[in-house]
Amino acid sequence: MRRGWLPFVLMTVLIVALGAYADAHHSVFLSKENLNSLLLEAMPLVLVSLGQATALLVGGFDVSVAALMTMCVVTASFTMTPTTSGLALVPGALALVGVGVATGALNAFLIRILRMPSILATLGTLSVLEGASLLLRSYPTGAINTDVTNELTSSVGFVPLAFVGVVVLAALADGWLYRMRTGLALRAVGLDERSSRRLAMPATAVVVAAFVVCSVMASIAGFYLAAEVQVGSPIIGNQALESIAAAVLGGASLAGGKGSYVGTMLAAVFLTEIDNVLPLFQQPAEYADMTIGGLILLALVVYQLPELIGRARGARASAGRVAPAETGAAVS
Amino acid sequence: MTTSLPGPEIPHVLSVRGVSKAFAAVEALREVSVDCRAGEIHALVGENGSGKSTLLGVASGFLAPDAGVVEIGSVRLRRASPALARRLGLGIAYQDYSHVLDLSVAENLYLAVPPSDRPAYRRMQRWARETLARFDLDLSTSAPTGSLSLAERQLLEVVKALLTRPKVLLLDEPTTALGPDAVARLHELVVGQARAGVGIVYVSHRLPEVLAVADRVTVLRDGVVQGTFDTARLSENELVALMIGRPLQVAFPERRVPDADGDVVLTVSGLRGERFGPIDLAVRKGEIVGVAGAEGNGQVQFLRALAGVERSAGSASCDGAPLDTRSPFGPLRAGVVLLSGDRRGEALFPVLSVRANSTIQVLGRLARLGVVRRGNERRAMADLLARLRVRMGSSEQPVQSLSGGNQQKVSLIRPFLRGNVKVILADEPTQGVDVGARFDIYEALRDKAADGLAAVVKSSDPIELSGLCDRVIVMSRGRIVEEIPRHELGERRIVEAIVGSRPAVLAAETHA
Repeated sequence: MRRGWLPFVLMTVLIVALGAYADAHHSVFLSKENLNSLLLEAMPLVLVSLGQATALLVGGFDVSVAALMTMCVVTASFTMTPTTSGLALVPGALALVGVGVATGALNAFLIRILRMPSILATLGTLSVLEGASLLLRSYPTGAINTDVTNELTSSVGFVPLAFVGVVVLAALADGWLYRMRTGLALRAVGLDERSSRRLAMPATAVVVAAFVVCSVMASIAGFYLAAEVQVGSPIIGNQALESIAAAVLGGASLAGGKGSYVGTMLAAVFLTEIDNVLPLFQQPAEYADMTIGGLILLALVVYQLPELIGRARGARASAGRVAPAETGAAVS
Repeated sequence: MTTSLPGPEIPHVLSVRGVSKAFAAVEALREVSVDCRAGEIHALVGENGSGKSTLLGVASGFLAPDAGVVEIGSVRLRRASPALARRLGLGIAYQDYSHVLDLSVAENLYLAVPPSDRPAYRRMQRWARETLARFDLDLSTSAPTGSLSLAERQLLEVVKALLTRPKVLLLDEPTTALGPDAVARLHELVVGQARAGVGIVYVSHRLPEVLAVADRVTVLRDGVVQGTFDTARLSENELVALMIGRPLQVAFPERRVPDADGDVVLTVSGLRGERFGPIDLAVRKGEIVGVAGAEGNGQVQFLRALAGVERSAGSASCDGAPLDTRSPFGPLRAGVVLLSGDRRGEALFPVLSVRANSTIQVLGRLARLGVVRRGNERRAMADLLARLRVRMGSSEQPVQSLSGGNQQKVSLIRPFLRGNVKVILADEPTQGVDVGARFDIYEALRDKAADGLAAVVKSSDPIELSGLCDRVIVMSRGRIVEEIPRHELGERRIVEAIVGSRPAVLAAETHA
């Protein structure tokens, strides 16, 4: 859409610029091994950010996603153990998705039926999930089936197949959002729920679906987090704020109704790239947080620019001349 | 009381029976029964707060009634659901619209039609252009709906309601932003729909307007039906008496003889901005100047530019001192106050109490040692609340819980409490306000004028302008094309000036 190209361009430029800078100083950055691990590292964040973008599109937040990802890792350490094999892994994997659907349904219930603000509702869910994870695994233990994790991370050259998958998914999702009826409905509900209800759109169903999608995406992200740690760690997920950051950097509006899945995907890759590059320069990880924070603020300013410039130009132009009267329907 | 005629067997497309609805302690509707036949135009009138909006909300499935039944096309509306009501054949044009402003005109039209009537998504633009052409509306389909004028939004709202191919069409104040010619066009459309068998429920404050098109009229007062009548057998005065429950003897407060050579308070010279200008105008102390014109001819922009809310070039002065219109602060400090026509968005803080909305700009005066005294606040407001006859439970009530007319009155309190006001710029001060409340607002404006203020009032209602103002300027294409002095003021004269003013401008332009 109109402002959609800006996040897309900015994120691409930043990814390339940071990569070029890193490569100029440490040739290891562009090695196949590093690129492969960078893209694999990005998987959990990309997946959960795509979900988060959906929640933002309907004007909500989901801060429970990271705790949900942790819960999924812990669940995997019970249902997808090294001794499970073959078809027995299918229900084990479905259990993770089930945890996602259940969490999404709970969030949606709190938000739509009990009318809680999404940030408070998901904060509550976050604590419940965190507690439950610690109850099931009070310390990191319980190996996770390596057949599955190897499958998840299989690559062609340096490109993980799963990464190709999320790129296609993000592109399709943007096509859906801006070129299909149900995508329009999602944006309309996010932009103006009252008008949407007046137009007989099922606003509640749309919001419920968005939060369930968000949680399911987080649970799929949980698979990749499990592949990364390979053990039932109760304290692993921390992508809640990063996922919101990625969606916003990708062009999402906190007021709802605006956003881009491809932009979100790129932003998530970029945020991971920062994490990946800093150790090359022997910089502590704390800098990553500060950089990300600063970048979000910067991006928000940049994204507002076209509007600000347009407004300033419009005002100057209109004050300088006599504008023709409106050729409105009411006058003609 | 309802005098439903036993007459011809025309099917009811909408039937509301014994509906009651209360909000907290306030009983908005009490055992209301109304029906609308296929092919009739049924006007629904009543003061603000009489329950019209609630009734429309219940009929359209937006609000669940506490008791009673709604039937659309003889099928009972089993639960409160706008989607269900729409499937049963109910279309509604909301007073405050159902547009998603960030989406384009085409996207809004697309969302408005039932799924079965929607074109393929990629054909949307062409379909939208064809649809608008069918209704003779000249709008860009790719423009964001938020960029349309209020009049355009209002017509688009009616078109959207018609696209649902309703059996019964509810129109809630469909002409508030429309000039006389657009009203005529809308009525043509509505009558055409009625002839085709659509039942139409038409809610409006403009009695002459509804009476001109309606077959029957139902009067609501305090949530109770006062009766349903054939419009042919009822005079406007009788109707007004039913609405307000007392005979309304004078619709406008008396004007004192104007001071022909009183001091000029507001001077505008060569002011121009988006959609208007250049404009020259002088307003004297005690004078109320009306601004008329077909909607969208720069009247609103002119007022807003004077208040510093919109950019402008040229100059203006108040009491001899130049007015700094680069921001709203200059005019405010100089005593020029704008009463915005956009109550919800600009004039009020909807969630704050009546008290807070009234006193928020003068808290310094009501405070001692930096602490605001409630007692002082109450005393300051009490007089104005009484004089404007604001109807409310308590002054701690959020403003959004009041009816539209009472909200409008509250928005008047704030400028009146300010000590230094010299000029009031009012944009549609009685929009959506009932007859009784209108008088209170006129009276308040007149009182202020008598105290030496000057007022500029923009209104799309010619009767209001001729009754309230000392003179009326008529704008077309952003310029003043005619000035009507007091002794010539009248509805007909103003309407003629608005309609006849275009050739004059064209002539002026060819001369230049």
